[in-house]
Amino acid sequence: MKKYKKFIKPFVLSILFIFFIIISYRSAKPRYKPENFTDIFNDFSWLGNWPKWLDFPLMQPLNSGFDWLIVKYGLFFEGINNFLLGLYTSMKNSLVGLPWPIVIAIVIFITYFASGRKTNTTVMVAFCTFFLGFLSPRYWDKCIMTTCIVLIGMLLCIVVGIPIGIAMARNKKVRNALLPILDLMQTIPSFCYLIPGILLFGLGAVPAIIAIFVYAVPPLIRLTDLGIRLVDKEVIEASEAFGANKRQTLLGVQIPLALPNIMQGINQCTMMSLAMVVIASMIGTRGIGDEVLLGLQQLNVGMATEAGIAIVLLAIIFDRITQSYGEKIQERTQPKKEIKF
Amino acid sequence: MKFLRNLILSFVFAGALSLTTSANADCKVHLGDFDWDSANIHTAIAGYIIEKGYGCEVESTKGSTTPIMAALFDQQIDIITEVWRDNLVQLIEDNLAKGTIVELGVNTPSSTQGFYVDKPTADKYNLKSVDDMKSAEIAKLFADPEAPGKGRMTSCISGWTCYTINLVKHKVYGLDKYYTNFDPGSGGALDAAIAGGFKKGKPVFSYYWTPTGLMGKVDLVKLEEPAYDQACWDEMTTVVEDIKKNGPDVYKPTCACEYVNMSLTKAASTKFANNAANKPIIDFIKNYSIPTADVNKSLAFYMDESGGDMEETAKNFLSSNSMWESWVPSDVASKVKASL
Repeated sequence: MKKYKKFIKPFVLSILFIFFIIISYRSAKPRYKPENFTDIFNDFSWLGNWPKWLDFPLMQPLNSGFDWLIVKYGLFFEGINNFLLGLYTSMKNSLVGLPWPIVIAIVIFITYFASGRKTNTTVMVAFCTFFLGFLSPRYWDKCIMTTCIVLIGMLLCIVVGIPIGIAMARNKKVRNALLPILDLMQTIPSFCYLIPGILLFGLGAVPAIIAIFVYAVPPLIRLTDLGIRLVDKEVIEASEAFGANKRQTLLGVQIPLALPNIMQGINQCTMMSLAMVVIASMIGTRGIGDEVLLGLQQLNVGMATEAGIAIVLLAIIFDRITQSYGEKIQERTQPKKEIKF
Repeated sequence: MKFLRNLILSFVFAGALSLTTSANADCKVHLGDFDWDSANIHTAIAGYIIEKGYGCEVESTKGSTTPIMAALFDQQIDIITEVWRDNLVQLIEDNLAKGTIVELGVNTPSSTQGFYVDKPTADKYNLKSVDDMKSAEIAKLFADPEAPGKGRMTSCISGWTCYTINLVKHKVYGLDKYYTNFDPGSGGALDAAIAGGFKKGKPVFSYYWTPTGLMGKVDLVKLEEPAYDQACWDEMTTVVEDIKKNGPDVYKPTCACEYVNMSLTKAASTKFANNAANKPIIDFIKNYSIPTADVNKSLAFYMDESGGDMEETAKNFLSSNSMWESWVPSDVASKVKASL
């Protein structure tokens, strides 16, 4: 019996394959297939161009499944929508309501303490923040909107992504199951979930936040997973030797030592969120991205580039704050190692 | 060695297959296409006839209005089969004067654009004209979650001229106090917003137009606006073009009226039209015209039966209608028929 075990999987797969072909032939429209089933063995013209009856019917079930989702779980999505929208509008309104010098002061304050009192980084970030409004006064409010969307998207990524990353690092089966899903999330064209997002949540900020989550959470999960697995075996053994249980090892040893990697993941997460914000402007998300889109649609290269520079500045601000915070943690957890580039 | 033999055999096999499908391509036509479905259908039908009937290589480029029109004026695109002329009056007349484009007559004789409300809501609150919309209570039905206290009208995307036209209309009609002129970002997003509203049974207030595939599936009521008047429209167009150039701050109070029941036209670049070798194709495009009802039928076929296959839709139109046979010489018609 053991001898045949390796044949089981290929056998099941080929049965499935034949089953798929039969389904596609049966569900094809009559005008696409030969009159008689046996004709395909006499007339081989279908080997030239891909025959229309060899078409797996995936579109119809997906459509009806999606309709079912809207009708059946409409209230559920409505709830998510209202929660995220409430978070977004309250955050946006309070920030837009503040005078701009105070917003800059808050950014400086956050940078100064997050970077461990590094003057260079703080000055750089302050300068970039000032330049957002300086490029065009119109951009200031739009940058705040974009920032709010990115921050909420990131919050969602961190809350969901880090626990999943930890679960992946601790269990090989979970990792094997999740890796293909992460690949799918990273490669599927963003419009495939942006347009359904409109049907579920309506135009505006919420589908953008969902899109940011889908697009930006994989690197965070991967880097959390990697960071925890890269923690030295000896260190874990040592902690176990001192009598730490699994939870204590995770919270006291593995996560602190993996933090630089996790911070790198959060940093990547922010960068990808910003990239998605521009695409999201194509589904009516207000923010700095729609200035780029407007510039392109009106063939106004100057306008598009100016708004593009504003996005780069925003990226620099996010990047410097998260990077320097990561470096600070690294200095704290690995004080003796000096990293030279 | 076995690998080599197989490789050579497969090349021979592939070569034999490609011989049977190669088309004679001594001419090239570059069609401009837009991001809405009626334009896609005309491009597919015209492209199919040019490819099979005239044996030309057809390339089509899809985009939003401004870049595609700019490419036509720049002579990069040869032919556009559906131009919303009245929305672009100024631009087209400037370029006709400059001699960069040639107009090739009417394609679809009538089309409608306007502000629409879904039928259940319109019946319930007795909404018939844009004036009926001007109340805070009605605006609450269409609440814009991102602009508290205002309703939302899903408008055109900002790259389309009608976005600015709607902006001006909102101000003239006094709708701007109650509604945001919301840019959905892309044509697909506009359709999805309307379809999503209907699926969830929520009130829909949107700019839309016919002929479109979606219009056949949802029940929208057009709101009455002041009747079309040429002088009024021209006055508004001047303001619209000014805003497009200099931003919304240059708005001046103007007259505004409904969109004209406009005919959609066709245009070609001067370079392409003046080339004597292209004369048969230009003649064909001049004859090309499909009534609104038939466009709607094709759109319905595209949405429901073709499974999203534009070429299939074009073939279906060509095999179920004979009006196109009068657009082309009989030898071309027979070539197209043979390929169906």
